[in-house]
Amino acid sequence: MRILIVEDEARIAKRIERMTGDILGNSIQLLTHISTLPEAMEFTENNTLDLVLLDLNLNGEDGFNLLTTAVSQSFHTIVISAYKDQALAAFEHGVLDFVPKPFNQERLAQALKRAQAKEKLETPKVKFLAVKQRSRIQLIPIEEVIYIKGAGPYSELFLTDGSKALHDKSLEKLEQLLSPSFERIHKSYLVKMTEVKEILVASGSKYQMELKNGVTLPIGRTKYKEVKERWL
Amino acid sequence: MLLVSSCSQEPVFERERAVYKIGDDPAWANKDWNDSRWQGRPALVPDGQIFWFRIGVDLKQAPEAFQPYGIQLEVYGEYEVFWDGVLIGKNGNPGQEEALGPEGKLWTTYSIPTELTDGGEHVVAIRASIYHFPDHTAIYAFKIDYYDDLLTDQLIETSYMHSFAGAFLMAAFYFLFLFLSDRKQLPMLIFSISCFLFLALTMTHFVGTALPIHYSLHVVRLQTIVSLMLCISFTIPLYFSMHFPFPKRKLVLSIYAGLLAVFYFFSHDFFDFTALSTTLGMWVFSVVIVIMGVYRKEKGAQLVLLVLLLAVIISLIRSVGFGLFAGFSLTLLSMFYLLSLRLKQQRVAYETSLVQSTRLRLELLKKNIQPHFLMNTLTSLIDWVEEAPKMGVKFIEALAKEFDLLNQIEDQTLIPISQEIALCRTHLEIMGYRKEINYRWEEEGIDANQKVPPAVLHTLLENGITHSQPGTNNSVKFKLIYKTTEQYKTYTFLTLGAVVSEANTKKEGTGLKYIKARLTESYDTNWELTSEPAEHGWKSVIKIYHKQA
Repeated sequence: MRILIVEDEARIAKRIERMTGDILGNSIQLLTHISTLPEAMEFTENNTLDLVLLDLNLNGEDGFNLLTTAVSQSFHTIVISAYKDQALAAFEHGVLDFVPKPFNQERLAQALKRAQAKEKLETPKVKFLAVKQRSRIQLIPIEEVIYIKGAGPYSELFLTDGSKALHDKSLEKLEQLLSPSFERIHKSYLVKMTEVKEILVASGSKYQMELKNGVTLPIGRTKYKEVKERWL
Repeated sequence: MLLVSSCSQEPVFERERAVYKIGDDPAWANKDWNDSRWQGRPALVPDGQIFWFRIGVDLKQAPEAFQPYGIQLEVYGEYEVFWDGVLIGKNGNPGQEEALGPEGKLWTTYSIPTELTDGGEHVVAIRASIYHFPDHTAIYAFKIDYYDDLLTDQLIETSYMHSFAGAFLMAAFYFLFLFLSDRKQLPMLIFSISCFLFLALTMTHFVGTALPIHYSLHVVRLQTIVSLMLCISFTIPLYFSMHFPFPKRKLVLSIYAGLLAVFYFFSHDFFDFTALSTTLGMWVFSVVIVIMGVYRKEKGAQLVLLVLLLAVIISLIRSVGFGLFAGFSLTLLSMFYLLSLRLKQQRVAYETSLVQSTRLRLELLKKNIQPHFLMNTLTSLIDWVEEAPKMGVKFIEALAKEFDLLNQIEDQTLIPISQEIALCRTHLEIMGYRKEINYRWEEEGIDANQKVPPAVLHTLLENGITHSQPGTNNSVKFKLIYKTTEQYKTYTFLTLGAVVSEANTKKEGTGLKYIKARLTESYDTNWELTSEPAEHGWKSVIKIYHKQA
């Protein structure tokens, strides 16, 4: 895993770094710590990362701008913050976890495990998906997303108004954030279950899903059983 | 007062012009004496010699049973009054004034025997001498009515005036005491003085019933009235000019005072004329001041203008005496209104300041329990305890010290500079453990006797820590320099390190707001705060002006 710690308190940064090392051991490919935001931004642009541990104070506009910037990226974000009351807002914007300060190794391990094991959130709290536009970041409400198609390292969001948007996160990462209201029906498709009209069985054991808007999507052979169970 | 004057009924008599004759003859008192060749009012009756004057009176009806008519006079001189040849009253010793000295009074009331007051024509004959003001032979008041009514009306009027004056006496004292307890409230003093003057004016004007005065002393009363009016004519515009200030106020007021004074010294012989003119000057000036207030949309100006105009109108359409009193009292009422407005403003300002100081106190207390400080400190602390327990203990001690210092200062508005510096040093120690940066503190020219608002330097220090990065040697230096000059003292706070997050420093953070509010709380507007980049860091300067003497 490639991990960046953004934390301006040296002692705490070292603590996070040390504990992360202990928890993840050999699976770490990169573990580094940056104390200022501009440097951190630059680093994320020039490096591929899996996870950013972000010290975030959401007070004021700057905090939210920073948060939406972080969650629109391809990596997962775990917020480590002194402001417990901001946890909900952070989750709504699509962070993988929120670790309140002061924290111990168990709590940090729980958060890191979630990132590492691609564990799905039990109760998704995401309300928005942050999508990078040309000059700004747009927050797309989850209600407007019908299904998501994987496109290599990116994902394509298909929206209720018929438009599409490209998200920097992979389909796997989005699945982690959006499950269980979204179901992975195919290696390339993540569908909001409330948008499903019916499951069609075509010749040659081909399964398809028809959505309320008329679109039909393929159901993966291995996913069928799971999907059918949930659907029925 | 409106009530008293409007109650007066139709007079029971009609009088003719008085006719005069210098000389003395008891027969001149007779009703039937032929005075057709007597003359009009003589301009001068010198040397206190006797002169007579007769006034024909037509009574419209006889009085009701057991209620005699009476006659009320305001005439200069000492005299005897005859009604149809019968002596009904004696006021002093006519013809013997020089020998016997002043006796009698200016305002007299005599009852007329009922058998002499049938409806129809009668004659009032007065045998008088006027030693002291031989050129003032006029009849200033002449009234016939029921004797009891003449006396009680006067008493009723006087009692109204006295309760009226009493109200102004209370107001005068109340605002005098308010002024004495807060010497800055000059309008209160002026209002108090105006009330006193008005009280004195009322008392002087209605002195007749309370204190009988001889006609020779009447000029004193008149001069007093004119002087009082002159003073009021100055204090009222002065008062309005305090509420509705205008440019070159002092100059304009001086010119106005000069005009009044000149006028007073050149024309104070003509009582009514002087009184009217000064009052007219006062109305015009006051109305102009208030109109300017209305123009500038000053609070209360509109209502005051309305009342003032009403006062002017009343004083112009009613008789001189009554009009002036009604006008003055309305004016004083409007002044009272302005004062109450000002008192309200002050109370609101005071309450706001109370809320503000409570807010500042909370702000101070919050400093160390707000999550950013507390949770980050605790996280670091846990780490120190886990990794290096001995250092952890020192960290806890520093934290305890900062909490202790904050506790000591939380309810104060000014604390010794040494305490503030101790707070800063402890904070640096804590931040050193947290950030593992070598924070250094230096001070220069500190005067241990000085006091500063609590946590102001501490807030500058917090900002310095947030917005700086260590330079070489992993250190950031803070330096506090104190300087004093004749006009002001300055605290220069330097953060010497690499400045980061420039964008944030442009916006006014809560820290700077706290500092400004604290400085305003203790120094009103006599301070300046500048905050700007400096060589190798950031520089904040607090300039506090010495109080103006």
